[in-house]
Amino acid sequence: MAIAEMFLWWYAHGWSVFIKKLRGHLTNIIDFFSMSSLVRTLFQPFRQISAETASADSSLELKFHMFVDRLVSRIVGFFSRLILLITGTIIIVLGGIISLILIILWPIIPFAPIIGIILTIVGVTL
Amino acid sequence: MNNTFDPKNPRVRHAHQKHALNNPAVIIFNFIILIALLIGGIALLFFKESIGWTLIGFSTFPLILIFWIKNYLATVPVGKSQDFTDLISPDLLLLLNTKTTPTDLVKILPKTRSGSFFMTRLALTIPFFEQITPNLPDSTESIYNTARTIREQTKSETINGAIIAASIIQNLPNYESILSQLKLNPEDLYQVINWFNHLNGTIRDSKKPVHTGGIARDFAFGYTPTLQRFAINLSVRFSNVQKVGPAENQTIINQIINTFSQGGRQNVALVGAYGSGRSSIVQSFAETLMNADSSVPQNLKYRQIYSLDAPSLISAATNQGELEYLMIKILNEIYSAKNIILCLDNAHLFFEEGPGSVDIANLLVPVLEAGRIRIIMIMDDQKFLEISAKNSALANSLNKIIVNPSNAEETIKILMDQAPYLEHQKNVVYSYQALLEAYRLGKQYIHDVEMPGCAKLVLESASSYSDRGLVTATSVQTAIEKSYGVKVKVADTEEDRGKLLNLEELIHARMIDQVEAVSAISNALRRAGAGVKNQNRPIGTFLFLGPTGVGKTELAKTLSEVYFNGEDNIIRLDMNEFVSPNDVNRLIKDGASDPLSLTAQVMKQPFAVVLLDEIEKAHPSVLTTLLQVLDEGILRDEKNREVSFRDTIIICTSNAGANTIREKIIAGEKINDFKEAFIESLISSNEFKPEFLNRFDEICLFKPLSKEDLIGVLDLIIASTNKTLEPQKISVTLTPEAKQVLIDKGYDPKMGARPMRRIVQKTVENIVAASILSGAAQPGSTLTITENEINVS
Repeated sequence: MAIAEMFLWWYAHGWSVFIKKLRGHLTNIIDFFSMSSLVRTLFQPFRQISAETASADSSLELKFHMFVDRLVSRIVGFFSRLILLITGTIIIVLGGIISLILIILWPIIPFAPIIGIILTIVGVTL
Repeated sequence: MNNTFDPKNPRVRHAHQKHALNNPAVIIFNFIILIALLIGGIALLFFKESIGWTLIGFSTFPLILIFWIKNYLATVPVGKSQDFTDLISPDLLLLLNTKTTPTDLVKILPKTRSGSFFMTRLALTIPFFEQITPNLPDSTESIYNTARTIREQTKSETINGAIIAASIIQNLPNYESILSQLKLNPEDLYQVINWFNHLNGTIRDSKKPVHTGGIARDFAFGYTPTLQRFAINLSVRFSNVQKVGPAENQTIINQIINTFSQGGRQNVALVGAYGSGRSSIVQSFAETLMNADSSVPQNLKYRQIYSLDAPSLISAATNQGELEYLMIKILNEIYSAKNIILCLDNAHLFFEEGPGSVDIANLLVPVLEAGRIRIIMIMDDQKFLEISAKNSALANSLNKIIVNPSNAEETIKILMDQAPYLEHQKNVVYSYQALLEAYRLGKQYIHDVEMPGCAKLVLESASSYSDRGLVTATSVQTAIEKSYGVKVKVADTEEDRGKLLNLEELIHARMIDQVEAVSAISNALRRAGAGVKNQNRPIGTFLFLGPTGVGKTELAKTLSEVYFNGEDNIIRLDMNEFVSPNDVNRLIKDGASDPLSLTAQVMKQPFAVVLLDEIEKAHPSVLTTLLQVLDEGILRDEKNREVSFRDTIIICTSNAGANTIREKIIAGEKINDFKEAFIESLISSNEFKPEFLNRFDEICLFKPLSKEDLIGVLDLIIASTNKTLEPQKISVTLTPEAKQVLIDKGYDPKMGARPMRRIVQKTVENIVAASILSGAAQPGSTLTITENEINVS
């Protein structure tokens, strides 16, 4: 009775629970890699290092010096964010693909013993 | 709607399956099988054995089982119908059956988590439930029906053990009177059910993942090394702590968010009394900003709140210049970092000179006005007024938000939320009655801390007086009694009750006659001891009128010794020292500058007899000041702190009209016959104002002592002399003739018992002294003094 209930749940509510869990994991990964912050601040100076702006009455030399400093800081920020953004995107895409495969495989999993027996009978080996 | 238990309901089977399978042993066993099958299968395939596929295939079985247990069996959702069985909590589903009787229900309660919680928090013991069992209805139907109603009223998800326990109590005949005996009311049962539901919800929420921005959250924000040296990051400390506060707190948080998300002055001054929850608001605000799922504007998300530690900043700087340099450095870092909100707790420390504080208003005001740095200031209302008076530019540059203390209902909710943290710290469990008592007594005795902080302080100190780990209302009362030297418990021991019932006898062991006054005082103390006195007034207020030497002051001293833990617990003020209007200040002077002011003495010793001698000599302004004390038991000192007189007995004595009393008594009139007219005459002769006399619980007239009374007084004086001689093991007795001689010599109707003490000193004590020095009186001997010896001396 319990076994039957278990399999019934597997194909009904269990599937949606599994999808929800996968979605939760993907959300956690997105949060872990701060994806939205990275996109929003992609060109901002890294850690506000040399981020001061020159005042209107500063000399042209100082203004230029500060502009260069900020540009360097922004470039450092851009690349460090980009690296993290790419890493995060790869992991999220991989996670998404694996999740999709698992969702598709979900109804087959209870049949795995039968598939295993068939493969044994057929004599498939590595 | 069915009100019976249906064992065939699928939830019953579900609950049993959960009980059998959702435990660590089963999960670990399945996990081991899963791993073994997988590893075994892969190993066999490695050795070219195709049977490995079968093992791998079968490894999905334990996997499916674990997933099913954790995601289906672990929760037993309520059923779709409104049948009783569809609404019961999983643990009750395991314990009920069709034959369950009300008596069985009582036995089941402690076995459920909610039932056990309910019993512990209300201090309802198993013997209590066993005692009420015979009065329960025959069938469970009415209990189940009531439980259904309680579930709806408390908006509980299921009918759990706590609801069944409340239902059992509500099904008792005269349950309200039973609850009254336990000092509870029906609403309290619901409160405890709500408490359980709230904590259950908090535990459930704590298991949900919290999104706090991830590893790159602070990439766009600067470093703040100096700030980190002198400040505490509240956002890190409280990012996962959800705090419950009054609904008003959320309104204040929204106000702060509005201030910081719009243009203009980027500061907020949280102004409220200490303990009113100002810091909790900042902590909740910090938590809100750090929560990725909260709906705060993007320009505030992940902003971190740093609380600047004024003492460490001041101690790090050797002079004002260095301090200003450090402060500028910190402010520059905050400005550059772009994600910092600076919090100045006890902000007045930055705007005044003194130990542990420094005035850097000239530095902060431009920053506040420019609005480029977000600042939250926490200060109390008095300090805010002082700062406003001193520096109006500063006050005008602040966005002031008033934080009001929480009311009773809000405080209890906050305490319910905070109790688990306190319990974890103190290793105790708080009962619901302890929370109520902490609020009641905190409000009554702690005047410099507001709610909810005040009640929390009381609960913390009560943990030292727990009864086998359970902090009850009595623990809270004991904590208050020990901390404030007052009596808050109703007399519950045999000794206390005996003392109160025989108070007159105990007082008369030291006092002769004056039955009316002794009885009035005793009745006031009995009312207080039985808990029926008005909580918002002193224990008793009395005016003693009569000639000198008749025992007015003696009664106050006796009372202090008998009931107020010794003669030292008397606060005595000679009112002839308060004869000018300026003397009002001396009454209410701060204890630091005048430890003998009335307010300072009562602050130190709130459970005492306050004796105001010769009250008629005090200036009318002084008497007017005392009106509030007599009426409400409260006097504000010069620092505007409330000083409670609600645990004192206030006795004022006066000789006003003493001659009239003496004449009337000599003329053979009874006190009660002329008392009213006499008091009227005091008012008409302007000795006392009617509003002053009306404030007293009782005005007692002391009659002059007769010669017969003096025999008793003499016996008391001789007893006192014997007490003094006790260490030398010598005692004194007087022959009846000697006593008569002393009475004849010492009797003076105008002076009362006072001359008698002097006569005894001159005669008896001189004779004893001479006998001791001459060796006539040896340890163990009794000196009998005769009439002749008295006459000679």
